Amino acid sequence: MIFVITEHRDNKLKSITSEALVFAQRVGQDFGQPVTAVVLGANVSGLADELKTKKIDRVIVAEHPDLAEYSPDRYVEALKTILGNEKPFLVIVGHTTQGMDFAPRLSVSLRRPLIAGCVEYEKQGDRLILTRQVFNAKMNMKTGVRGESPYFATASPGAFQADELQSGGNAEIVSVAVQFSGPVRRKLVERVEAPRGMVDLSAAPIIVAGGRGLKEKDNFKIVFELAEALGASVGASRPVVDSEWLPREYQVGSSGQTVSPKLYFAVGISGAIQHLVGMQTSRCIVAINKDVEAPIFKVAHYGIVDDLFKVVPALTKIFKDLKVS
Amino acid sequence: MKIISCIKPVPDPASRLIINESKTWIKDNDLTFVASEADNYALEEALRLKEKHQGDVAILSMGGDEAARVLRSGLAMGADRAIHLLDPKFKGADEFAAAETLAKAIEKDGGADLVLAGVQSDDLGTGMTGVMLAEFLGYAHATVVIGVEADPAAKTLKVKRELEGGINETVELPFPAVLTIQFGINQPRYASLKGIMAAKKKELKAWSAADLGLSDNLVGKPGAMYEVKEVFVPERKSRVEIITGTAEEAAAKLVEKLRKEAKVI
Ligand SMILES: Cc1cc2nc3c(=O)[nH]c(=O)nc-3n(C[C@H](O)[C@H](O)[C@H](O)COP(=O)(O)OP(=O)(O)OC[C@H]3O[C@@H](n4cnc5c(N)ncnc54)[C@H](O)[C@@H]3O)c2cc1C
Ligand SMILES: Nc1ncnc2c1ncn2[C@@H]1O[C@H](COP(=O)(O)O)[C@@H](O)[C@H]1O
Repeated sequence: MIFVITEHRDNKLKSITSEALVFAQRVGQDFGQPVTAVVLGANVSGLADELKTKKIDRVIVAEHPDLAEYSPDRYVEALKTILGNEKPFLVIVGHTTQGMDFAPRLSVSLRRPLIAGCVEYEKQGDRLILTRQVFNAKMNMKTGVRGESPYFATASPGAFQADELQSGGNAEIVSVAVQFSGPVRRKLVERVEAPRGMVDLSAAPIIVAGGRGLKEKDNFKIVFELAEALGASVGASRPVVDSEWLPREYQVGSSGQTVSPKLYFAVGISGAIQHLVGMQTSRCIVAINKDVEAPIFKVAHYGIVDDLFKVVPALTKIFKDLKVS
Repeated sequence: MKIISCIKPVPDPASRLIINESKTWIKDNDLTFVASEADNYALEEALRLKEKHQGDVAILSMGGDEAARVLRSGLAMGADRAIHLLDPKFKGADEFAAAETLAKAIEKDGGADLVLAGVQSDDLGTGMTGVMLAEFLGYAHATVVIGVEADPAAKTLKVKRELEGGINETVELPFPAVLTIQFGINQPRYASLKGIMAAKKKELKAWSAADLGLSDNLVGKPGAMYEVKEVFVPERKSRVEIITGTAEEAAAKLVEKLRKEAKVI
């Protein structure tokens, strides 16, 4: 049995849930294992009905007022009860700020393996080999889980394609009663949108984004110059913002803005998953990076493998000349 | 407040990483090691909390000789004392074994009000260790923290977490707790000359597996929950067209392609 712990907010399933289900459907087919989706929450029958239409075998719903908001204590306690009754082979969770907030606790409390940030898997005989990313996605690592199941895995966002989710099932919905005895140590006070600032990249047709490869704040002017020559907006990776070269509002990525311009330049940006999820749907992506192995080249359409301090001014010059002529 | 801040030694980000012969890790014998980036933010946060509320900041690192150097830098930044978990048996630990070893050390040190770890390391990089540590210790925890307010009298914390898609949340939790600190929460200080001098006199103790009372099967490679089968550079199943030539030639070719082929400008 393969379990997927679904993630949802405001009564909507998050896209990572579909990705985790694709992972589960594929492993399920290869290992001949049925797939169960688990929904924890309060008043979530609508989500169960939606999951029921996917090609899976079962939906387990555990409803409780304490589960209305996510809390690691409640999730761990509820999942220990549910998994304890079932003996799954693999339990898949999203590699998100929520998934990575409780999955490691579950792994320790059950003393079972957790392979986090999975992007692929293999079947070697009866053994499940899970491939995860290491060194900021520059390398991958194949791991063989030890001991008995359940094994826990978190699915890296974007690694499994949500649109490959097979539907056409008629899964059975099973309600499970959960009771809690432990404390809820961590309590939600409020959840708010981070201040947006003045930079809205969502409608920009062209974005020139710079990363840590620019080395220091003053060098960022070559990014602005290229942007100006192109009539483009400027964006940045997170370290640029963390180092206070630019305000937070310029950040593109999972904890910044999500953009999808017709043309995106990634200058001195390695292409960590948290950056990619914010820009990979751009129509045309150009990567300028001196490291040919940088993961940004996975999503780029055109790449120049060279020193950005040479390439960027050269581009700026061409665009300036084009404008003049 | 008693704070313990974890520091993982990782290869200097400027190093060229080469996979070792057995394809199980990188060749790490000639590399320079530094504190994993997020751990600098964690230590800075610990020092600021101490400056505000008084107390003791200890830094904790599991690793070989490279960890001792990284700990020295942390002492120079302003930590009060350092604990080095040093034992050949610790080698090959995964996050699970690392967390269990770190937890045992924290217990041996008498526990803490607050344990800080990085949101994720620059090598394994999944941010599991801090959360696992919380479970081993039985402490509350919060991940991806971008702001901390402590109330030592009430023994509570109010922390801000950064979620996906520009959403932040504030949560309240009691002492003792583990927080995983996000990049950019503060601007870490540099060690001053005075700090470097002062660091030489600060306590840096080393504990082995035996000191922690951990049996061989719980530490290092035997304590790991997974076996490393292979480390490799992923093949790019990508569509990328690499444009060659001098910088000027490549730039000119690229512009041509963007205009004629991609038709985006
Ligand atoms: C919870 C969480 C949320 C995050 N959210 C985001 C987010 O929203 N957005 C984001 O971007 N990151 C985010 N990150 C950080 C992310 O993991 C990466 O650390 C970050 O994206 C790396 O930024 P970078 O590519 O600029 O820097 P690096 O990874 O350091 O890459 C720099 C690149 O520049 C290249 N380079 C260096 N010098 C030159 C030169 N002279 N010429 C050409 N190339 C050169 C290098 O080869 C390298 O590839 C988040 C992390 C966490 C844990
Ligand atoms: N060997 C170690 N010594 C000290 N701290 C560690 C060690 N391994 C992991 N950590 C802490 O756990 C954090 C997350 O690491 P990881 O789970 O590898 O992403 C790091 O930033 C450190 O704060």
